[in-house]
Amino acid sequence: MKRASKIFTACTFLLLYVPLLVMIVFSFNSGKSTANFQGFDLRWYIELLSGGAMLDALRNSLVLAVLAALISTVLGLVAALGIFKMKNRYLKATVNSVTNVPMMNPDIVTGVSMLLFFVFVGTTLGYTPYRNFFTVLIAHVTFCLPYVILSIMPKLHQMDKNLTEAALDLGCTPMGAFFRIEFPAILPGILSGFIMAFTLSLDDFVISNFTCGQGFQTLPVYIYNMIKKRVTPDVYALYTIIFLLILALLFISNMLEARAEELNDPYSKKNIAARKAIAAGENPKNVNQSLQKSTKSSLLVKIVAGVTACVLVVLSVSSIFVNTEDEYAWVEYIETPYAGTTLYVYNWGEYIADGSDGSMDLVRVFEEMYDIDVVYSTFDTNEKLYSDIKSGAGVYDVVIPSDYMIERLLKEDLLQPINTDNLKNYHLVDDRYKDLYYDPTNSYSVPYNVGMVGIVYNTAMIDEKDAEKASLSILWDGKYKGNILQFDGPRDGFATAQILLGIDLNTHDKADWDRAYRKLIEQKSVFQGYVMDQIFAKMEGESAAVAPYYAGDCLSMMEENENLAFYYPVEGTNIFVDAMCIPKTAQNVGAAELFIDFLCRPEISGQNMNALGYSTPITAAKDYMDPEMVESELAYPSEDVLVNATSYAYLPEEIVQLVESLFQEATKLIN
Amino acid sequence: MNKRTSIGARLMLAPHILWCALFIVVPLLFVVYYAFAEFGSDGSLVGFTFRHFGDVFTDGDYLGTFGSSLLLALVSTLICLLIAYPTAYCISKMKAHSQRMMVILLMLPMWMNFLVRTYTLTQLLDNNGLINRFLGLFGIGALQFLGTPTAVVLGMVYNYLPYMILPIYTVMSKLDHRLIEASSDLGANSFQTLTRVILPLTVSGVISGITMVFVPSISTFYVAKAMSNGSISLIGDIIETQFGTLNYTMGSTLSFILMILILISMFVMNKFDKEGNGGVVA
Repeated sequence: MKRASKIFTACTFLLLYVPLLVMIVFSFNSGKSTANFQGFDLRWYIELLSGGAMLDALRNSLVLAVLAALISTVLGLVAALGIFKMKNRYLKATVNSVTNVPMMNPDIVTGVSMLLFFVFVGTTLGYTPYRNFFTVLIAHVTFCLPYVILSIMPKLHQMDKNLTEAALDLGCTPMGAFFRIEFPAILPGILSGFIMAFTLSLDDFVISNFTCGQGFQTLPVYIYNMIKKRVTPDVYALYTIIFLLILALLFISNMLEARAEELNDPYSKKNIAARKAIAAGENPKNVNQSLQKSTKSSLLVKIVAGVTACVLVVLSVSSIFVNTEDEYAWVEYIETPYAGTTLYVYNWGEYIADGSDGSMDLVRVFEEMYDIDVVYSTFDTNEKLYSDIKSGAGVYDVVIPSDYMIERLLKEDLLQPINTDNLKNYHLVDDRYKDLYYDPTNSYSVPYNVGMVGIVYNTAMIDEKDAEKASLSILWDGKYKGNILQFDGPRDGFATAQILLGIDLNTHDKADWDRAYRKLIEQKSVFQGYVMDQIFAKMEGESAAVAPYYAGDCLSMMEENENLAFYYPVEGTNIFVDAMCIPKTAQNVGAAELFIDFLCRPEISGQNMNALGYSTPITAAKDYMDPEMVESELAYPSEDVLVNATSYAYLPEEIVQLVESLFQEATKLIN
Repeated sequence: MNKRTSIGARLMLAPHILWCALFIVVPLLFVVYYAFAEFGSDGSLVGFTFRHFGDVFTDGDYLGTFGSSLLLALVSTLICLLIAYPTAYCISKMKAHSQRMMVILLMLPMWMNFLVRTYTLTQLLDNNGLINRFLGLFGIGALQFLGTPTAVVLGMVYNYLPYMILPIYTVMSKLDHRLIEASSDLGANSFQTLTRVILPLTVSGVISGITMVFVPSISTFYVAKAMSNGSISLIGDIIETQFGTLNYTMGSTLSFILMILILISMFVMNKFDKEGNGGVVA
């Protein structure tokens, strides 16, 4: 019985730890994949140490956690004292209940309620963005309060009131009595409340997700955005470091606690031995001294503490040492009236050359060139971009939406015209990408990227004959049951079905959408699931055989697994143009125009497209690209493929709602 | 004794009451407002209505999602309890320093970001993930772990297990083991000791644990989508989508219903907690 329960406990811990151990191992992966281990490399740790958006998010989280913990501890202490002294029982119960609401309520309801509140406040007071550092701070303090109060209250109850009375009798002022008697007595509760608040704030994701905005992202929110695009092992590296640090801290505090307990326990071995020694005639003073010495931190604890301290120091100053300043020393500085200002950019995730894999960090280059600080945020769908801009949750100077979303933004008057006279490189944009349907006057957008959807498949898992057919129908092929993936997004998901059925991607006919919906339901019997970010891991790790996805990302996957290949379906596909726009609410139009112009430079666009694997709308950029890339059928498909490609157009509101609800139905629980 | 609260106490309470009113009560009132409000096509307030609730309760999809969320949360909580109880007991019988070590090992995963933890779990369980590749060494074909409701339950259990073990362990560690000895001295077998001595004494820990697992399980998002390969959306996912697409009314309606659902569950559970000790375990 005993052994069985021990094995059971061991299994439980195994369940908890195996995924964590896998995470640690993969943090040393030389490749980008989290599914394919390609070799041992420290690259992610080095990249981590040289700073970047993730470390910024970590810094944000830490600063926020410290502030939130401090404020909630102070507020909580005062509140606990007040509640403790309340005489009216019913009022006391009410205050307690209200305080505990954030604790009892699911995080999502708390988060959502705060979002609504801040939107209202923002709209009435007329400031934007509605969600920023202060909103997150307020939200965090609010949900930490009940925990702080709950930590302090028991200590208040346990406190001996007689001591306070005695102190007052002996002439102490009430204030003095508080600081000398009560405060020390409840200090453990205050400390544990503070630590609890710090922990909760640091780890909170749900509430932060609804209250974060404009430029300020906490680490969990940053990770959530990354998880929606592609997870790279740098997250693993960060959490491995955190894991080891927490392990060390817990170990140290544990040892210290054990020593303290040993000292206080009259029956502990050390104390018994000490008493024996005194009884045998040794000098009590010496015995006491050696007792204190032996219970001081052992060597092991000292080593662990020392190493931890070193690691923390290294982490905080590392960005100074692993400095990439010299890397960009070649960048010529250009004088403009906008030097020293800040530019807010909102782009798709992983959609600009950022220095990884030998590419150039274009944002850094821009910052060096013009001395403008860029706050770079990412979004994962056009719809998110739309709701962020429309709701005022974010204020950006440059946004990069897709064609149909630009159409919608224009119709709702959310963009401002771009003065192309200020853009020196605008004339280099290929004529084919000017005067497009979504921006007929060509005054509100500058093309950034052209891409298409294609099929990526595993040559080892798919029959050559089926691959040669180059058809969309492979996604419905029962032969590959359980190995087929589908887009987890309404428009892209429906598009695959619509093209196969020959339906117009932009039909307003509800019956057409219904047909496409039924085709999607048909697919459910053979597919594996709806994916966006997981597709990288699944295709690279060979857990799936075939999927539709964006060409540039397919290229990225193919780099991680040589079994992967690509084709454009003969029935046609979706072509999209992502373009740079300036929202009406932009604060720094001058710098925005500089940034847009910068990205139109042939050498910059070439670098960018080289890294991304998409087509560039700047013909001259081809001179700066890898010849392989220029020749590639994937990045620069032939005319017959292009002719069959359709763009998404803006759909009227009721169709949008229909599409969303149909897609939601398709993803409901299978019973 | 003075029956009225002192001025000092009132002064101390004032900022707290202000904070609670402003940042707890008012935001929740907004949820209620949006749940009942009706907006015209131009976005202005038209009136108040029960229509949204009617829409939810007559729509099979929403009801189904609420039902599935409830079911999966209950199953996950139950499984957590079944795993946690013996584990907690086993730990509480270990030597003191081993116990401390175990508690540390339990707390560590809680510090890891839940998104990262869930993601690594999906990597392990994927069709060609490590577990399947390991089984493949023995010639066992690829088992499909992901993509089913069971996978979602596994994901939830994996994430919330420590939250169930810790409160139960805390209560068990304070158990006077002499009571158990006494019980067997008086002739009770193991089962009777369990049900008549240990169980009643550890009820408050169990209630704590259930609260800390059930509430997140029913309202979580991402776990369901990740573990089910995107084919299952729970109520948390839907609420997130609604707010993401600026559909505040439906999102608030669903949130309101979720809140009431949880309040009812809490009320039911409090009936079991006679000691009134339910609360947070630090």
